[in-house]
Amino acid sequence: MSDVNDGSDDATMSSERLAQFQDEVGKLKVSGGAANPERLGGQWGIGLTIFGLLVAFISWYSAYNSADLGTNLRAQIFAIIGLAISMVGIILWIRNSMTRYLRYWIIRLVYEQREQTDRIIEALREKNE
Amino acid sequence: MTAVESVEPVPVLELSAIRAGYGTIDVLHGVHLALMPGEVYALLGPNGAGKSTTLGVACGQITPHSGSLFLCGRDVTGASADALSRAGVCLIPEGRGIFPNLSVAENLRMASFTGTPYRVVFDRAYTQFPRLGERRKQLAGTLSGGEQQMLAMARALATEPAILLIDELSMGLAPIIVEELYEHVRQTAASGLSILIVEQFAHEILGVADRAGIMLHGHILHSGPPSFIADELADAYLGADHHEPNAGASAAAPRRSE
Repeated sequence: MSDVNDGSDDATMSSERLAQFQDEVGKLKVSGGAANPERLGGQWGIGLTIFGLLVAFISWYSAYNSADLGTNLRAQIFAIIGLAISMVGIILWIRNSMTRYLRYWIIRLVYEQREQTDRIIEALREKNE
Repeated sequence: MTAVESVEPVPVLELSAIRAGYGTIDVLHGVHLALMPGEVYALLGPNGAGKSTTLGVACGQITPHSGSLFLCGRDVTGASADALSRAGVCLIPEGRGIFPNLSVAENLRMASFTGTPYRVVFDRAYTQFPRLGERRKQLAGTLSGGEQQMLAMARALATEPAILLIDELSMGLAPIIVEELYEHVRQTAASGLSILIVEQFAHEILGVADRAGIMLHGHILHSGPPSFIADELADAYLGADHHEPNAGASAAAPRRSE
């Protein structure tokens, strides 16, 4: 079998290619991404939810123990802010959980499709033999 | 002071104190590795040593828990795999990574994502591997193992990578095919491409590599010229200098031909 040609002309990494590579590496936008970002995002979501609920609870407690209208209004505003933070936290958690799940799902699909293709190829081979 | 000073060449790829793994489990425990321009570096080790994970970090598929990845001296830790791929880091994964239900030509067409026109991709691939030209309309999954590996190599080389990462080129192939593929790696390396290649079997690759390293349990135990590594290999696989009597037991035969 002589399937290998001298492909040096085609696959040359000249100093020009190296310079181009350096240039492209220089342009790369590096976000400093973390390992397993969805997990981190999910943890932030849970943290924000708890924090927001705490703010809302403290605001309610403050309003409950005060007869002053101004204090009650301020407590009400803080309670709304706390609930909003909780909502953001819940959305963040759902978003990251869904991403993790969908990633797993798509990998599973690819894997099953490959298995299926292998089975079809095997069946075709057996039929041709 | 002399006008001309010798400048230390910058590694085209460098892994520094890399700790990485899957989920919370670390597979690599502080890996240091440098690939110089135009060099072929062979990373050897038994199953589960962390070789493929090292390649995963090098191509951006796995983000390290700590440590840094440098390309041409620039810290690119955390860069996405597709960005690195567009820049010129190309991985040929274990199991070839071809699309079995696409034809040879369609597989090659997928390599035009870097902007290389697909006609150029075809020309390059069929010139280097004439057999692929004969089978251009055949489903890739129905090719022989060697032809599939050729397709994977052709697809990778057609994108004109600056760094080529090859995972287990010899896996599941007959020795004569492996020899032929390594001949092609040798020719590619002679053209100046930097290649990091991972293997379980040392015999063929040590004849091609400029330097080699032995990896065990997420560490690179030895690194040096192939002749030195060939001497150290049996001891390392059998755990003589790592106090791990079962280390690499599944791959205790470092030479494929033996």
